[in-house]
Amino acid sequence: MEQSAISEPETRSESVKERSDPSIIDRSVRIPVMIFLASGVFWLVVASGFWLLASSQIHTPAAWWTFPGVAWLSFGRTYPAFLNCFVYGWATCAGIGVGIWLLARFSRVPLRDPLFPILAAATWNIGIAVGVLSVLTGATTGKQMLEFPSYAAFMLFLAFVIVGLWALTIFWARKPGPTYISQWYILGAFLWFSWMYATANILLNIASAPGPAQPAIVWWYIGSLIDLWLTPIALGTAYYLIPKLVGRPIYSYKLALFGFWSLALLGGWTGMAHLIGGPLPAWMITASIVARVLMILPVLAVAVNFHLTMRGKFEDLHWSPALRFAVIGAMAYTAYGFEGSLISTRTIAQITQFTFVTFGHAQLGLFGFYSMILFGAFYYIVPRLLDRPWLSPGFITAHFWLSVVGIGLLLFDLTMGGLIQGFGLQDPQVSMSAVSDLLGPFLLIQNFAVLLLVLANLAFAVAFALILLISAPVKQRSAVIEASADASKKIAPEVSVA
Amino acid sequence: MNKLTGLFFGVFLLFGLSWLALAAYPYITFAGLQRSKDEATGALAPPGNPGTADQGARVYAANGCFYCHSQYVRDKNEGSDIDRKWGKRRTVARDYMFDRAVFLGTSRLGADLTNAGDRQTDPQWFYRLLYNPRATTPESVMPAYRWLFRTQEIQGQPSANAVKLEGTDAPPPGHEVVPTAEGKALVDYLLSLKKNYPLPEAPEPTE
Repeated sequence: MEQSAISEPETRSESVKERSDPSIIDRSVRIPVMIFLASGVFWLVVASGFWLLASSQIHTPAAWWTFPGVAWLSFGRTYPAFLNCFVYGWATCAGIGVGIWLLARFSRVPLRDPLFPILAAATWNIGIAVGVLSVLTGATTGKQMLEFPSYAAFMLFLAFVIVGLWALTIFWARKPGPTYISQWYILGAFLWFSWMYATANILLNIASAPGPAQPAIVWWYIGSLIDLWLTPIALGTAYYLIPKLVGRPIYSYKLALFGFWSLALLGGWTGMAHLIGGPLPAWMITASIVARVLMILPVLAVAVNFHLTMRGKFEDLHWSPALRFAVIGAMAYTAYGFEGSLISTRTIAQITQFTFVTFGHAQLGLFGFYSMILFGAFYYIVPRLLDRPWLSPGFITAHFWLSVVGIGLLLFDLTMGGLIQGFGLQDPQVSMSAVSDLLGPFLLIQNFAVLLLVLANLAFAVAFALILLISAPVKQRSAVIEASADASKKIAPEVSVA
Repeated sequence: MNKLTGLFFGVFLLFGLSWLALAAYPYITFAGLQRSKDEATGALAPPGNPGTADQGARVYAANGCFYCHSQYVRDKNEGSDIDRKWGKRRTVARDYMFDRAVFLGTSRLGADLTNAGDRQTDPQWFYRLLYNPRATTPESVMPAYRWLFRTQEIQGQPSANAVKLEGTDAPPPGHEVVPTAEGKALVDYLLSLKKNYPLPEAPEPTE
C-alpha cells in the first residue's frame, strides 16, 4: 500500500482528476500561495503568544503577569488580540492560500500573473498588523470580531477583493469539464466573506448603525464568519484531501450537494442564537435557534459521507499525517455541529449561555475542526509547492498529538467548568464570587490545555520553517520520491514530495 | 454553464435572505424607534444618556470589558437575571436607542452591568474597584486597571475625586491617586447605566 501511495498519489482518485501536469500548476502559484501560507503560520505563532498570556491572566487576576499598570498587556486587550490574530491572521491567511491552491489545481491551468495576489498578501498582512496594534492600544470599535477600526478593516477588504477576483479568474480560466464540490465551497466562501465583511463594517462603522441594530449585525456577521467563511473553506479542503488520500471517490456526491446547499441556506442565520433572551425581536432569535438546530443536516451529510468514504480505510491514518489531521478535523466538525445544535435549544441555553461552555464550543470549531483540516492541507500541499520533503517527522508527530490532547482537554475542561458555572449562575442564591471560586480549578486547567495547543502550534511552525528554509529543493519529483521515501520510511508519502 | 449560473445565483440569494432579515432589516427599523411617553406624568422613556457617556463607552470598548460583562437582562422565564437583581424587567430594543455603542456581551464571568449605575451610585466605589478589585471584593477575578489612574502630589487641597485607598494601595504621604480623564469617563459611563424606567413592552414580572 505504501508503495502504490507513493508512486501515484496524483491520479488515484476518480472524483478528483487532474490531467495536466500538477507540478506546472504548483510552480505557477508557488510564490503567492506560499506567501499566504507563511503569513498564516506567522500569525499563528503571534496568536499563540497572546493566547497563552490571556489564558494565564484569567485564573490569577492579581499576578504580575496580568500587568495591572500596562494597558496593552491587560486581559481585555490580549484576549481580542489573540482572537483577531487567530481568525484573520492564521485561519484566513491559511484559508486563502489553501483555497487558491485547490482552485488552481481543479482548474488545471497555470497562473500567469502573480503580482496582484502578492500585493494582496502584503496589504492583508499590513491590515492585520495595524488592526492588532489598534486592539492593543485601545483604538477598537468594541464590536466582537469586528474590532479593527475602519482603516484597518478597509485594508483587509481591499486585499480580499483582489483575492476574490483572483479566485474567480482562476475558476473562469479552468479547463472544460465537470466542477467538483470543493470548488463550490471555496468560491462560495470567497463571495460570502467579501459580502459579510464589507457590509458589517460599513453598517457598523461608517453608516453608524443605531444602537439596538448593532448586536444583530455583529452576530449576523459572527455566525456567517464561522458558518459561511471558515466552515466552507475547511469542508472544501476536506472534500479534496480525504477522497484523494484514501484513493476512492467521495461516497455520495448527491449527499455532498445537499450538504452544500443546506449550509448555504442556514449559514447566515446562526449567530443570533448566542443572544437568547436578548433585546431583539423574538422572531430573529427563534429563526436563529431553528437554523442552528437544523444545522445538524449539513453536519450529518458531511459526517456520513466522509465516514462511508473512509470505511475500511481507517488504517491509512497510520501512514498519512495529512489524512490524520483532516479526519480528526472532520470528526471535530461532527462534534461541533451536534454540540452547536444542543446548546442553542432554549432549555440548554438557559444553563450554558454566558458560560465557558460556549468558549469551549468556539475552540472546538476554530481549532479542532477548522485548524486541524487546514494543518492537514499544509502537510499535503507545502511539499508539492516547494518540491521539497518535510524534514522532521518528530515535529509532525508532536504537532498532531499535542493538538489532539490539547483540544480534547480544553473542550472537556471548559464544558465541565462551564456547566458548573451555568448551574451556579442559574441559582440566584449562589453569589458571583462563589461562581468564580468554583471556576478556579477549571481556569487553571484550561491554561495547561492552551499551553499544549501553543506547543503544538510551535512544533508546526518549526516543521514549516525547516521545510521552507533548510529542506533541499529537488528538481525532479520522481527523484524526491525515492530519496525521501528512503529517508523517512515510517512517515507518510506526502511527507515526501509525491 | 446553466448549472454554474444557478450556483452563483443560489449562493447570493440564500445568503442575501439572511442579510436582509438580520442586518438590513434591523438597521432600518431600529433607526425609527420612538420613545415611550407616560400618559400620566408625560415622562419620556428611555430618558437619554448624559453627554459624557459616549467617551466612557469608548474606554469600556478599548479595555474589552464586554468580554466578561454582559449588558442585557433576560425575562424571568429565561434565566435568573431578575432574581439576581440585575434588573427589574427584561431589556428590549428601545432601551438601547440612545446608545452610540451597544455591548450586549456573551460572557458572565463578571456581573451583568445593565443597571450598574442603579445598583451603585457612588463613583468612589467604582474607582476603588477599578484600582484594585480585591480591595472591595476579595474573591473578585477582575483584573486591575491602574493605568486609568495617576499618583500625584497634593497641591493645596486634595482633589475632590481622589480615590480613597487603604493599606498597601494607599499613596505615599502628601500624594493622592486620582482617575485620569479616561478613568473618569469610564466611571461616568458605568454610572449612566440604568434601565430602571418602565417600558410598556417589557412589564415587570409579577411574582
